[in-house]
Amino acid sequence: MIMVTGGAFQGKTAYTMRKFGLAESDITDGADASFEKLKTARCITNYHLLVKRLGDDCIGFTEELCRTNPEAVIIIDEIGCGIVPVEKSERIWRENVGRCGCIIAANSEKVLRIVCGIPAIIKGENE
Amino acid sequence: MTTLITGGSKCGKSSFAEKMLNDFRGRKIYIATMQPFGEDAFEAIERHRKMRVGKGFETIEKYTDIHEISLDNSCAVLLECIGNLCANEMFSGGTVNAPADKIVSGIKRLADSVSELIIVTNQVGSDGVTYADGTADYIRVLGSINRNIAGFADNVIECVYGIPVLLKGELPC
Repeated sequence: MIMVTGGAFQGKTAYTMRKFGLAESDITDGADASFEKLKTARCITNYHLLVKRLGDDCIGFTEELCRTNPEAVIIIDEIGCGIVPVEKSERIWRENVGRCGCIIAANSEKVLRIVCGIPAIIKGENE
Repeated sequence: MTTLITGGSKCGKSSFAEKMLNDFRGRKIYIATMQPFGEDAFEAIERHRKMRVGKGFETIEKYTDIHEISLDNSCAVLLECIGNLCANEMFSGGTVNAPADKIVSGIKRLADSVSELIIVTNQVGSDGVTYADGTADYIRVLGSINRNIAGFADNVIECVYGIPVLLKGELPC
């Protein structure tokens, strides 16, 4: 598994497609694709939005994905570096994104963090 | 040795901080700064307690006035976290004129007296939201505290989804 993270609009998807030779058809959007399709996706974008849709099921779904689709590339925004939200559902979502992100990172042989389109390898070997 | 660990929400900071003290053979002290007010705080405190079970920590609950803690160099200390400590100093009752100076000098004192000090803090300034005065002050003060602790810390580490990213010094484990 490969994880690509960083803030919003840092060029994560463009970099990932270039780096790993992916086509548009390889990309499945966590924001709106069916859960069945996501389970076998080559690459999932907006995983943080998928976590919101999954609600309480997010941990189970993420653990299963790591087991059954270990070749997937997962793109997930970093969203936790701000003030704790007032709204409870927002707080729960933000914490769930942190937990799911930790699971994906632990199961990934490589984790990249993209800033301004530039990757930093924070886990795994440089090539 | 003093190590500052920062990062966002649920990024694995605590787990990493605890792991750093796995091999320490002296007294291990956990300084908890979160006040048990509200359902979220209870849940968080309970979760962190469970994480520490069997790891040999003594817990000291200290919500403000960190400078009052006296420990010697037989101890390793995990202080969690500066985000709560800063909020407590700024917003619970009394009026502290310079919370950043008070907190930083209290922590420096602790760093100079114990064998190992691991400090967990938070990154709160990156959501791009403009907040009202009280919250804006909090972000400013916490940023200043973090910079000052990072100045004297031997190691500074940012956790990103559980992965330690080295910012200063070296990765202890």
